[in-house]
Amino acid sequence: MTDAKAQKSARTEAKNRNELISFLIGDQEFCVDVMAVREIRGWTAATMLPQTPNFIKGVINLRGAVLPIVDLGARMGLETTDPSDRHVIIVTRIKEQQVGLLVDAVCDIIMPGEATVQETPDVACETVKVFVKGLLTLDGRMISLISLDHVLPEALDDGETDDHANMAA
Amino acid sequence: MDPLAAIKVTFFQECEEQLAELESGLLAMEAGDTDSEIVNAVFRAVHSIKGGAGAFSLEALVRFSHVFETALDLVRGGAITPDQDVLKLLLRSADILADHVRAARDGGEVDEARSHAMAEELEALAGGGEGGGSAAEADDGFGDFDFKPLMVSFDEAPASEAPATEAPVAEVAPEPSGRSFIIRFYPQAALYQKANEPGLLIRELARLGEVAVEVDGSGLPNLAEMNPEDAYLGWRVTLTAPKADIAAVREVFEWVEGDCYLDIVEPAAQSAAAATAAPEIDATQPEVDVMALIRQAQEAVIPQAAAPAPASLEPAKAASPDASKAKEVALDAKAQAATREAGGSPQTIRVDLERVDRLIDLVGELVINQAMLAQRVAECGLQRASSVAMGLDDLEHLTREIQDSVMAIRAQPVKSVFQRMPRLVREIAAMTGKEVRLVMDGEGTEVDKTVIERLSDPLTHMIRNAIDHGLETPEERVAAGKPREGLVRLAALHRSGRIVIEIVDDGRGINRPKVRQIAIDKGLISAEANMSDDEIDNLIFMPGFSTATTISDISGRGVGMDVVRRSIQSLGGRITISSRPGQGSTFTLSLPLTLAVLDGMVVTVAGQTLVAPLTAIIESLQPKSGDVRQLGPNASVIAIRDTHVPLIDIGRALGYRQNSPSPTESVALLVEGEGGARAALLVDAIQGQRQVVIKSLEANYRPVPGIAAATILGDGRVALILDVDAVMVPKPLERAASGPSAQTELAAPAPSLLKAG
Repeated sequence: MTDAKAQKSARTEAKNRNELISFLIGDQEFCVDVMAVREIRGWTAATMLPQTPNFIKGVINLRGAVLPIVDLGARMGLETTDPSDRHVIIVTRIKEQQVGLLVDAVCDIIMPGEATVQETPDVACETVKVFVKGLLTLDGRMISLISLDHVLPEALDDGETDDHANMAA
Repeated sequence: MDPLAAIKVTFFQECEEQLAELESGLLAMEAGDTDSEIVNAVFRAVHSIKGGAGAFSLEALVRFSHVFETALDLVRGGAITPDQDVLKLLLRSADILADHVRAARDGGEVDEARSHAMAEELEALAGGGEGGGSAAEADDGFGDFDFKPLMVSFDEAPASEAPATEAPVAEVAPEPSGRSFIIRFYPQAALYQKANEPGLLIRELARLGEVAVEVDGSGLPNLAEMNPEDAYLGWRVTLTAPKADIAAVREVFEWVEGDCYLDIVEPAAQSAAAATAAPEIDATQPEVDVMALIRQAQEAVIPQAAAPAPASLEPAKAASPDASKAKEVALDAKAQAATREAGGSPQTIRVDLERVDRLIDLVGELVINQAMLAQRVAECGLQRASSVAMGLDDLEHLTREIQDSVMAIRAQPVKSVFQRMPRLVREIAAMTGKEVRLVMDGEGTEVDKTVIERLSDPLTHMIRNAIDHGLETPEERVAAGKPREGLVRLAALHRSGRIVIEIVDDGRGINRPKVRQIAIDKGLISAEANMSDDEIDNLIFMPGFSTATTISDISGRGVGMDVVRRSIQSLGGRITISSRPGQGSTFTLSLPLTLAVLDGMVVTVAGQTLVAPLTAIIESLQPKSGDVRQLGPNASVIAIRDTHVPLIDIGRALGYRQNSPSPTESVALLVEGEGGARAALLVDAIQGQRQVVIKSLEANYRPVPGIAAATILGDGRVALILDVDAVMVPKPLERAASGPSAQTELAAPAPSLLKAG
């Protein structure tokens, strides 16, 4: 795909896009489609799960449902978060499952058309390619648009090679 | 979903019910119960399927059910005696009908040749029953307009066009106690297109009582104008039926109601009702206004059978105190009407399963919330006798009761699984050339729907195995001094909060030397292993074990019993086998009644709260320093009475900690795994016993090794439910804990079986 075409398709996409919700992890800003977000809540102590990757913080009780909490920073290869009361859980719906994303803070809502989306430029890090769908520029800030599809580890049978599978995806 | 599709879905659901009714009816007949009610139910089932199939233009289904119905009608009319051969044919036809229904539903194919052959057999049967004359008619399947028994005279028909003539009614006027109905029935073309026959309907009416039938041919056009596919004839039937009510009469026309002009009146109702009511009134003081009240009540209740009852109660209330008797009478009348409406059969409603599940979830929430509230109140230091604490106790009882009632909604009799088995047995018996009699017990035993759904496959496997491996051929049986016919018994019962299902055969039993040899050949056990009979029997549950020397269609792929065991275990159940050579084997399944709640022991391990299923726990004990001994570099065992069992630290097994605390400062839970193997699980402390609501981890996450599920405790936090069998096999878990990815497959519990000895 040529650059011009990519720009064009990215822009068309932007027009049809829903509102986005942006949040901070460390000093980086990310955003997800607001339609995937069910609610936002403060951090509550999670129950540890045995034998899980380091980015799974455990499970909490969300009105009777068992909700796994993913440390999104750790999932994307950034630093592991040490959760405290000021951290925020964004409850999202990924396919048929509800998953809580642990982030530092929620920033704002980005209206459609407010910013243009550009394709993720080629950078060396594979993790970026898996999770970052595109880049938004808004008021001089750079916001990464996150794809939630690979947030949870894959099914158990390919659990062993999970991370590699994701990288290849 | 568009409305038609929705109706179709309902139709197929109803078909399943009708098929079940059909099969159980035929089986009851086979067992010698030829009660006319059962025969009628069987006929009705096929008739309903045909009617519905006609409405959806499912032609193959209509064709087959029509032939089937014709044969059944002759059985019902007594023209065919339902002996064993006939019933076998009817049962096989029911199987084909079920295939047709499923093919129509799922868009699959029916074995045409088989279906055709079956239809021919049925036709031959019907032909034999009806006599030579009508055999030709049965060929096209739609020619069965047999009016002779009803003595219809076409000559008189045009004369009685006006339905208002009361004369015929007077002629057939009932004796005082009888009831009579005048039914005017004018089919439209659509009725015939759906393969309904007025003749059959009228015959159905004749079963309710005496009928006088008049044909109204006034609508007949000239022959030249006649469209052969249109409907021109009408019937006027005067039915005298002492026992029938209007609902029963209506039921006859249930399937054709939309496709005909139908008018049912009961001219004698009032007088009959007055006559029956009279004795009761005599008992009261015959005051004028009381009588009036009664009449008012009767009028409100009787004519439509479906009673606008409240209206009848109002005047009674308004009357003076001595009218109380009248009120009773009115209530009686209402009750009668209600019973009549109910038709004596249990009333059911069809509810979307999702709604029930939602309700169950909510009640689960309620239970958790109630527990949280109780804990908060306890923390406030209120006295046990305070009104708040007592109110909470009541709330707890109420919550439990609601929970039980809601669970009861999901509970279903195992019949829905059991009733698939006779067909299976017939087919396997035919394939293996063995003679088998299936006896079923306790079909009414109730268990959660999810359990039922997941029972079907294991039961199918086990019945197959029982016939294929368990039972001998008729010749072998005779040689062994047994009856030719092998017996397979399938029974369900409730035992101490679980459902127990037994599959018993009277075959040759497990050939232990052979089983042992095969296990050695396949490298499942070592040749020197010293094993008890029980342990050898249990070898058949090992993965990859099969005693069949040739791989047959039915079983012997070497997956059967292993799969059975795993699926039963995944339901929280266990399976045991006992076998006596030459006398047969018994497989016993024990399953929880529900997958929604669990009795558990709440324990603390490395600061985490865990729940251990109570069913697995034999006892809890405080290890003494001398009881625990090291075995090898990493493992230790504990002496419990005369045996040493492995001691497993839950904290280490789950990777919560690297170093176990001193066993003497901990508590050990002696548990028994599904295979009967025992182990002592080391935990830090026991918090208490509690019934917990099971929450799935897979719903939002995925299975976690060593953990069966999750629950929510009184403090609102999630606690994990231990998978006892998985932690009893420590090696894979430990490897995973020290491995780079800290992820592993669920530990397979099967090998633990052999470590028992």
